[in-house]
Amino acid sequence: MSNVDIDLIIGGPQGGGIDSAAQIIIRSFSIAGYEAYGIREYHSNIKGRHSYFHVRIKDDLVRSLRYPVDVLACLDAETPFVHMNDITENTLVLFDQDLRNTKLAQVLTMEGETKKHIEERLVKEGCELTVNGALECMKRSGAKLVPVSFRDLVIKALGPNKPPARYANTLGASISMALMGLDSEFTRSGIESVFGKKKEVLEDNEKIVKVAYDFVEKNDGISVKKLGAKVTKERYILTGNEAIAIGKVIGGLKLQTYYPITPAADESFFLEGHDYFEEVIAGENESLSKSGVVIVQAEDEIAAIAMAISGAMTGARTATGTSGPGFSLMAEAIGYAGINEIPVVVSLYQRGGPSTGLPTRNSQADLLFAVHAGHGDFPKLVLSSGDVNEGIEDAVKAFNYAEMFQMPVIHILDKNFANSFYVIDGIDYSKMKIKRWKLHEKNDEEYERFKFTEDGISPMSFFGKDIMWLTGDEHNEFGHITEDPETRDKMMEKRMHKLEVAKNTIPMEDQAILFGEKDADVTLVSWGSNKGLLLDMLDKLKSEGVRANFLYIRLMAPFPSEFVLNVLKNSKLIIDVESNYTGQLAQLIEQNCGFRIDNYLLKYNGRHQTLDETYDGIKSIMKGESKRVVLRNGA
Amino acid sequence: MEHNYRTDLWVDWCPGCGDFGILGALQQSLAELGEKPENIVVASGIGCSAKTPHYVNVSGIHTLHGRGIPFATGIKLANPNMTVILDAGDGDMLSIGAGHFVAAGRRNIDMTIIIHNNGVYGLTKGQSSPTMPRGMKTKGLQRPNIYDSLNPVNLALSVGYTFVARAFAFDIKGSKDIITRAIKHKGTAVVDMLQPCPTYNEINTKEWYEKRVYYLNKDPTWDPVVKVPEPEEAEKKYKQAVDKSLEWEEKIPLGVFYQNEQVPSYEERIRNNFPTYFTDSPSLSRICNDDGTPVARMERIFADRLIRK
Repeated sequence: MSNVDIDLIIGGPQGGGIDSAAQIIIRSFSIAGYEAYGIREYHSNIKGRHSYFHVRIKDDLVRSLRYPVDVLACLDAETPFVHMNDITENTLVLFDQDLRNTKLAQVLTMEGETKKHIEERLVKEGCELTVNGALECMKRSGAKLVPVSFRDLVIKALGPNKPPARYANTLGASISMALMGLDSEFTRSGIESVFGKKKEVLEDNEKIVKVAYDFVEKNDGISVKKLGAKVTKERYILTGNEAIAIGKVIGGLKLQTYYPITPAADESFFLEGHDYFEEVIAGENESLSKSGVVIVQAEDEIAAIAMAISGAMTGARTATGTSGPGFSLMAEAIGYAGINEIPVVVSLYQRGGPSTGLPTRNSQADLLFAVHAGHGDFPKLVLSSGDVNEGIEDAVKAFNYAEMFQMPVIHILDKNFANSFYVIDGIDYSKMKIKRWKLHEKNDEEYERFKFTEDGISPMSFFGKDIMWLTGDEHNEFGHITEDPETRDKMMEKRMHKLEVAKNTIPMEDQAILFGEKDADVTLVSWGSNKGLLLDMLDKLKSEGVRANFLYIRLMAPFPSEFVLNVLKNSKLIIDVESNYTGQLAQLIEQNCGFRIDNYLLKYNGRHQTLDETYDGIKSIMKGESKRVVLRNGA
Repeated sequence: MEHNYRTDLWVDWCPGCGDFGILGALQQSLAELGEKPENIVVASGIGCSAKTPHYVNVSGIHTLHGRGIPFATGIKLANPNMTVILDAGDGDMLSIGAGHFVAAGRRNIDMTIIIHNNGVYGLTKGQSSPTMPRGMKTKGLQRPNIYDSLNPVNLALSVGYTFVARAFAFDIKGSKDIITRAIKHKGTAVVDMLQPCPTYNEINTKEWYEKRVYYLNKDPTWDPVVKVPEPEEAEKKYKQAVDKSLEWEEKIPLGVFYQNEQVPSYEERIRNNFPTYFTDSPSLSRICNDDGTPVARMERIFADRLIRK
């Protein structure tokens, strides 16, 4: 059992430094040697609307989040209202006492529907429609209130000339960490690693940390359990977006195209900051060589995929990144890459759809779209990753597979993955070998780009090496248009056969994994960013004596039908767990295996799925109370 | 042996199509330039014009409707040392792909765009293209065209193209000279290539054009080239080009309207951040050692994500 296991939410207005607060908290604990996992939730808005960071700190492996939380830090008047339901007995609720009398109606940043739900709850509880009322409500549930005047403390630390609002996030994060018992030395290091070592900044933050810790120490109402010292080590803190960018660069990315879209653009933005660097050339004397990645903001997603496709045909490892709306625009070009057997990689970050949907919220509802994107029959690979280590490795493998099998690869991810913070020790290069295409070695005048071969894979060449033709029309071996029926059949069969080759070549553990006990009473089936949550769930169920396993599927096309069917045939109670309405993975399983899953645990409100609600849902299905449970946690 | 720029395919355009003239001019131009054929790519979109790459014996990429520009651009991004020529239709460039046409003017990638401009969508049986004037009724239309036409030369100038010219498909020699200049131009060159569609446009025929077209450089004082990197010089040449671009109907000017090589190409702008871009371009760059280990290492490139006390 863990000695330390704390969930915290820190909330405030968008643009009010919640991102920095999140960084400070996760870095401070990481520096102190603790494990941490957190996620950002935010509106599609630049300034003002509610955003929050939910993080869990443990002294051992952490892969999921839980409600209710142990600490709720409210940097504004909206947070106590919105997170009223996220607390329990003994939750520490830190809030700005200067905002106590703010009325619900005065919180202009809150959406009308949300206000209505909160009002109903407050009226039902007989609490007034103010911050005070919300606090009272939480107090009745057993929460411990920690009132603080942010203004007074900032003035106390820095004097009257600094704007208190600017320091609310650092102060809020510092008090939270003091409440959680983290030694102030680590809090200072965390802040320093976020804001840098400029003298004035350092001095200011030093003072903020001091008043924060003094405040908690001198507060008689709070007893803090000090966290023990851990071995500290250097570690990487990465978001999913960053992991994909890193994996791509390690995998030899040379050209990335994109059009700005949430939650994909952060990946390209991060790449733009790391686009010229030193590479390590092996040899008797290892040497360094300068190289770079071209990152292009295209005029739209159609241009982004088109540039990526022809860049790939010019011999560069090329990728693009997008989300549902952009991917919709790319569909025609994906088919072009299919018929022209082009090794291009698309990182597809799912968000809430349809249409603009929930632009900044999570979803796994583009699975079937990704698998079927583009008109006509053509081969493509759809690969899914569930955490940052896997994301980095898969970004390399996506390029390898694209080139080995000469087909587009859709690397399907989601918002939860993109915006989660993961702490990792490093990466294992042995899992990241680069494998390239079967190259056309000769230099002759008669290169056939689409030469018929036994495995359907033609020797590759690229623009600048041999003369060749590509066309979106059906074509002969040279790439010239043909409508000849026999050639059409042979070309279709050549292309589609590559899927068989891919399926037989890709290691099984990259296709699907069965975690947990082989013989189980309950089998969870899921994919993507639910991975960590369900692995934690297996541990939880095991600790209660429930025999459970988890069928985790990674390769969506071509589909590991035999493996999946074999697991499901031998399972007792099967539950499909996904962040969508229709159970798309279950549909894909039925389509490929002819096996129908009957029980569903689904979530489509766009908020991150938590351990507690998942547990309740599984229990409800196990008891036979329901076959379809919809999870509704999250503010 | 001299390279033969023709492939041995049967060219399947209608007899009398302006595309034959454009193809001939392009092949002659490539022969004259004499670059390594494997370093040249002819790109196209969709439609009659889009078959051009198949008939030229250099690499060809026949792409999607309207997307010729981004496909052509990707080749240059991956290898800035390639020569890329895009043969696109007026529908490709000015309707479905108009967004790309505008964006390309702002980028100024070193490539050439030849707009096959015949006022109609040929392969789909003669619908009006963006260059057909309002009120015109060709035989492919049920009723007279109710769209206004746009002016490709004027549009190209206004969105920043650094080489803007017009040619006439049936003056093969004149067109060849203009294409050669366009390919040699450093930056994106646009050639508005007037061509008859003998099947669906019975109004703008070969004879109709021949009566009207004239070359700008017949006037010995005509000088479209921005020669010094001074805003006044660029403005003077630009205004003169815009003025000429408005000429149509009775007299139709051909030749180079505007050329400005003082504007850095997109590739040069990339090189500012990526100094080895031309010598170690994305397409040639080494990505792994012989044993497959990557040359890009996380601890070197992304050390800023390493959190330490």
